[in-house]
Amino acid sequence: MTTRRITAGIAVAVTATAAIFPIALLAVWSFAQRWFWPDLLPRGWSTRAWLYLASPASAISPAIATSLWIAIVVTVISIAVALPAARALAWYDFPGKRAFFFLLLLPVIAPPLASAMGVHGLFLRFGLTETVSGVILVHLIPAVPYTILMLTGSFTRFDPDWEAQARTLGAGTLSVWRYVTLPAIAPGLAIAAVFAFLISWSQYLFTVLIGGGQVLTLPLILVSFQRGGDEAITAALALVFLAPTVAAFAVTAKYLRNDA
Amino acid sequence: MRSVLTIMVLCATACTHADRPRITPAELRTTTWDKITQRAKGTTVNFAMWAGDEERNRYFRSTIAETLLRQYNINLHLVPIADTADAINKMLNEKGAGKSHDGSLDMVWVNGENFRTAKQANLLWGPFAEALPNIRFYDAESRARDFGTSIEGYEAPWQKAQFVMAYDTARAAEPPRSIDALQAWIKAHPGRFTYVAPPDFTGSAFLRHILLHFGGYSPRFQSGFDAQLYKESAEATIQYLTGIKPYLWRRGETYPATLKDLDRLFANNEVDFAMSYGPSFASTRIARGEFPSTVRTFVFDRGTIGNYSYLAIPFNAANPEGALVAINHLISVEQALGLSRALENPFPIPLGSLSPEDRQKAQALPRGPATLSNEELAAHFANEPDAGYLTRLEQDWLEKVLRQ
Amino acid sequence: MLLLAPASLVLLGLFAGGVFLAVVQSTGFFAPIGEHAFTLTHYSAMLLNREFQLSLFLTITVAAISTVLSAATGVGLALSVRRLTGRWPLLNALVQVPIAVPHIVMAVLLLNVISQSGLVARIAYAAGLLATPNEFPVLVNDRYSIGIVAAYVLKESPFIAVVALAMLARIGGEYEALAATLGASRWQRFRYVTFPMLAPAVVSSSVIVFAFIFGAFEVPFLLGRPYPSMLGVVAQRRFTSIDLTERPDAIALSVLMAIITAASVWAYLKFTRVQIGERPTLF
Repeated sequence: MTTRRITAGIAVAVTATAAIFPIALLAVWSFAQRWFWPDLLPRGWSTRAWLYLASPASAISPAIATSLWIAIVVTVISIAVALPAARALAWYDFPGKRAFFFLLLLPVIAPPLASAMGVHGLFLRFGLTETVSGVILVHLIPAVPYTILMLTGSFTRFDPDWEAQARTLGAGTLSVWRYVTLPAIAPGLAIAAVFAFLISWSQYLFTVLIGGGQVLTLPLILVSFQRGGDEAITAALALVFLAPTVAAFAVTAKYLRNDA
Repeated sequence: MRSVLTIMVLCATACTHADRPRITPAELRTTTWDKITQRAKGTTVNFAMWAGDEERNRYFRSTIAETLLRQYNINLHLVPIADTADAINKMLNEKGAGKSHDGSLDMVWVNGENFRTAKQANLLWGPFAEALPNIRFYDAESRARDFGTSIEGYEAPWQKAQFVMAYDTARAAEPPRSIDALQAWIKAHPGRFTYVAPPDFTGSAFLRHILLHFGGYSPRFQSGFDAQLYKESAEATIQYLTGIKPYLWRRGETYPATLKDLDRLFANNEVDFAMSYGPSFASTRIARGEFPSTVRTFVFDRGTIGNYSYLAIPFNAANPEGALVAINHLISVEQALGLSRALENPFPIPLGSLSPEDRQKAQALPRGPATLSNEELAAHFANEPDAGYLTRLEQDWLEKVLRQ
Repeated sequence: MLLLAPASLVLLGLFAGGVFLAVVQSTGFFAPIGEHAFTLTHYSAMLLNREFQLSLFLTITVAAISTVLSAATGVGLALSVRRLTGRWPLLNALVQVPIAVPHIVMAVLLLNVISQSGLVARIAYAAGLLATPNEFPVLVNDRYSIGIVAAYVLKESPFIAVVALAMLARIGGEYEALAATLGASRWQRFRYVTFPMLAPAVVSSSVIVFAFIFGAFEVPFLLGRPYPSMLGVVAQRRFTSIDLTERPDAIALSVLMAIITAASVWAYLKFTRVQIGERPTLF
């Protein structure tokens, strides 16, 4: 029993460290000054990075708003598109299912550079570049397949007969959905939604090409500062970047539990 | 939510340009500057600029944007890019898709290598530069050639850069001030020197110093690519580089991938030198607490490579009038002084072409503790070799130094 | 079939259209450098290039090792987290945090933690174990790609853990409890009950992880060596080269990479005969 407790303790410690350590390190970095070998802690502290993020010159708050707006719309559309597709994949057999499935995987597995330039060319022809809608559309390319893949698993565990039974008992389409389907797929749905959000929220290459810098999202600013080599501002931006996703994880966490 | 709406409205107004005839480069010759300024009123200029620097972003979003609006009624909209190559690729794609007007950018910040690429692919609007009233302050050389490529009015000189090396006075009293002295130093201090892996811009510039050294800083380096000159100097350059390789940091098995990585190695006492194209970089790092305060910069006695960075207009700019007025403003003496004061950049205009008051202002510009004086930098300024040398040297470095 | 229409529209219209244009640009129709006739030279030049061959080998090795280690770590993580969430409910949220950390930030963090003058080396210095940074083992930008693998294990094992946890939550603990009442040991319960239920989802998410690492740029650029470098770095370098003639090469390389990953996934689907919708796989 004691060895089990010790291994359990170690597991908790490792997970907590892996999760908290990066955040703690980024927090220290965002305030650090003169942190050179062999010092364990910085020699000086400064609020420069945070003051800059708070100033209008950084354009951070509009970037956060744009990023959030795009990610939320992408999440909603991905789910809307993925729900029917996942149902079909989970419940029905049809010719070409395997091929469709393979096609579904391609955007997930192909290196972004392979499609990015071509997609940009395509969007230019339709006048979709430099617009928020264009960026939303291009984020759907990686987001939709992930969402379908995650949701297909949920529908597999869900017996179509349950919906049929509810319907014979007189339930309307909406109440079947509300009281039967939704609760059954809720865990998968929540996780899929968080992933769709995260995919859009962290997109860089597609946003640069399609948004062309006119649609300014948080990753664009983050990458600029990382390349510019400003460690404090990069760290502060990374923390801002992490905040909403960590909040979303708190929501999905309950669906990852056994008793869910 | 309100801010989201604001952005969408802003974008709707900023991203769609009213259909109006754009000025053509040919018309530029017959149109008075006043008329251009008139036509530029109330327009928005989309400016693609590398945006990874806090001070620069601050200065552009506040001071420059405000003066452009106040003096010319022009809205400056910054299009942040992480790399100039991103802007070039974007223009290439727009060209490929047949978007020949109403392009997404009106003004781009370019330097030699990207200028050559853009000019080669006909991605630029012009010629325009010689029509700008404020270009008269700049010297003939900076208006004629950029990395050996003839400019022909397709870009206007804007900011000046010069290669410097940084050392820490707490570690080394006197830095090696020539390519030969550097070699001796590296061999005497194994593992304490490295350079950023080309094709990084600065790492590649370091290689060019060795090439210039073995080519005797010949003026032929600036007039087109000379295969004979390259052959003579490249051989010794490669020999030099393979000779120091075993004495480099990590025995030359690897090189820092970015300038930031080299900065980090230097700040943490893993190596003894850092390098940059920005003469004030060490002062900026000291101010941010990223370098020890004992760091200073130096240049080679025979000179270090310097160049100008430029402003250009994409071939399909939706608002060339606005870009012309904005560029003319950005290269003005007033803005050059302002930019050099705010960012401690080298002052780009030769002092001889200034009025006495402006000259005094330029001489009184502040300078960080690790930044060399304008006089010292100017006395050690070496011109960029033709871009042809750059590409071949990078290729030879890959094949004969890195892969060995 | 109608159910698939919206998804097909996104995939076919956007993605396939983009790839089609990429193929066009890489087969001799890259106008900016005056190419106007069909050619496969960009592909043949790439395939015969020694750097490509070395990079391909390195890329496959690094991606495979990172994937296997991430999968093993991820499953271990999922199992211990599941056992402990009773007492530590926060753990389910914590385990996901590294997923949200951008790769570029993870790479920078690693550089600052396990490089020769990083935090770990400083702790060793404080403990008197070493006197100068170069006595510390080389863990980043190293010959064996340790830094790259470490970054991916840190980033991808939580992803696999989340997939595994979702699966565990779905199948519940009844089977294991049943096995326990029948006298199965902990190892037997894992080997014959839990693992077979987890395996399909873990393997399929590993395929995604492998494909992702195969095409990645940022982490190998920051934590790898300039030569040989992983394919994503080679493609990116050519793509942003000042020499326009390298653009079609870069696109050809990306298309080749897409073909390689697509072929391996196709083989996986064939080989494992994944019955979509019959087993609780991720796919």
